Amino acid sequence: MLQAKDLAVGYGAETVARALTFDVQAGEILAVIGHNGSGKSTLVKTILGIESPQAGALTWTGGTPPQPIGYLGQLTDFDRRFPMRVCDLVETGGWSKLGFFDAAGAGARLRAGEAIARVGLNDIATLPLHKLSAGQLQRALFARTMVQDAQVIILDEPFAAVDQNTEADLMDHVLGWVAEGRSVIMVLHNLSTVLHHCARTLLLGRGTGRFGPSRAVLNAGALVEMGYLAADQARWLTGSLDGVTGGGVTGGGVTGGGGADA
Amino acid sequence: MLEFLEFDFMRKAIVAVVVLSLGMAPVGCFLVLRRLSLAGEAMSHAAIPGIAVAYSIAGLSVLSMTLGGLIAGLSVALLSTVLARVTLLREDANMATLYLLALAGGIFLLSVRGTAVNLESFLFGNILGLRASTLILIGATTTVTLLVMALILRPLILQTVDPVFARSQSKHTWLISAVFMVLVVLNLIAGFRALGTLMAVGLMIVPATAARYWVDAVTPMLGLAFCFGAGSGLLGLALSYWLSNVPSGPSIVLVCGAVFVVSLLFGRNGLNVLARRA
Repeated sequence: MLQAKDLAVGYGAETVARALTFDVQAGEILAVIGHNGSGKSTLVKTILGIESPQAGALTWTGGTPPQPIGYLGQLTDFDRRFPMRVCDLVETGGWSKLGFFDAAGAGARLRAGEAIARVGLNDIATLPLHKLSAGQLQRALFARTMVQDAQVIILDEPFAAVDQNTEADLMDHVLGWVAEGRSVIMVLHNLSTVLHHCARTLLLGRGTGRFGPSRAVLNAGALVEMGYLAADQARWLTGSLDGVTGGGVTGGGVTGGGGADA
Repeated sequence: MLEFLEFDFMRKAIVAVVVLSLGMAPVGCFLVLRRLSLAGEAMSHAAIPGIAVAYSIAGLSVLSMTLGGLIAGLSVALLSTVLARVTLLREDANMATLYLLALAGGIFLLSVRGTAVNLESFLFGNILGLRASTLILIGATTTVTLLVMALILRPLILQTVDPVFARSQSKHTWLISAVFMVLVVLNLIAGFRALGTLMAVGLMIVPATAARYWVDAVTPMLGLAFCFGAGSGLLGLALSYWLSNVPSGPSIVLVCGAVFVVSLLFGRNGLNVLARRA
């Protein structure tokens, strides 16, 4: 679906991460993890076309980026005081398919209604945004993403502000999208979610990235080398596993970055 | 009591204020929602030197004064956006500085010319002495505003509520912002003759703010802001007729202010004093 080769991302003259080589197939989840400032959000913005690649290539199957790209971002710039009801917000997911002169119509309202029902917000569909809890808002935004009906969906820390039950519910929807053959790129912090659900991982850090099967990328050595864990944390973690597991995870199939590969 | 309706100048003023509200309501609502209320104020002052320069070149021509004001107002808006990108200081600091300079420069220019323009009617408006050309300007501005707002309404909403999502869906979000700013300045200039450079922004911001206290969706907010604006305009005009020394600009904005206070007290998003007591 999407292929990146020697990609460098950043803002203006400043490069945040370089030499990124990875790909996402239809029907899989790519996890993106990394320490703060490692370039996760910059990479997301580059894939969305908001920022341009500084070097390398980003190639889409079919030549051009799919329209629309499903997107659920961090809520830093989201205005929760905007006069809008849940159902209005969900409906905006279909707007990018409308031309200047098209009316939204009954079909759009119907699709929004279905999505609201699927995320379990039927009871509060007409509530204004400022009355929602963080979990309810995140459910509403998942419903908007459903209305977008995109083949490629990018989720930037989708579980940052929600409780465990909500996370489990919402993760089911993500798995549903993947089962339908859509590609999902998900920025995450929770390693257990990555190991459970994401076949492959792009680990960003130290100005570059490593890519491969999640269980190969997420070994203690790589996490330390990429600045995700401190060395003593990793030693403590792996030490605490002695006698629990039958040996370390081997690092086969990892590509990219770092220079000092084991 | 309603004998003032028989005067030609009064009928012109009524048409002017109702038509002006029609365009200013949607523009004002989005100014408020985009947290640009004070930027609107700044832009209205920033337009003054442009109008002054146009006046000293071409005299009292509505077209050249509009063009002059548009260029000056948009330059200040553009310059403060650019400065905020390339320097450390935020947009509001640059904008405040620039508009103060522009305001001072405008008044300076007008005074040096020492002229036929009465400074008081320039600042506070003279809605009771509107000429046909000004009415045409107001009508044209409102027509353009309503058409353009209808076209850009969806992207404008998306960009206001969730700017990063909007940018992920369209490459043209900067264009929408730019078009919106042009509408803001156009409406301010259309309001200048009627309400004055100090008061024009009042008919834009105050009804929109008052409307937000009552409703939680965009479309009703736009409609309510128009009703508040036009209603305050009519009542304000009548007031300035009955109390013959009061200029129309402040009197209209004061009535808007009364609507604001009532909305603040009783609106469901305001202090809501009735519901709290119950």
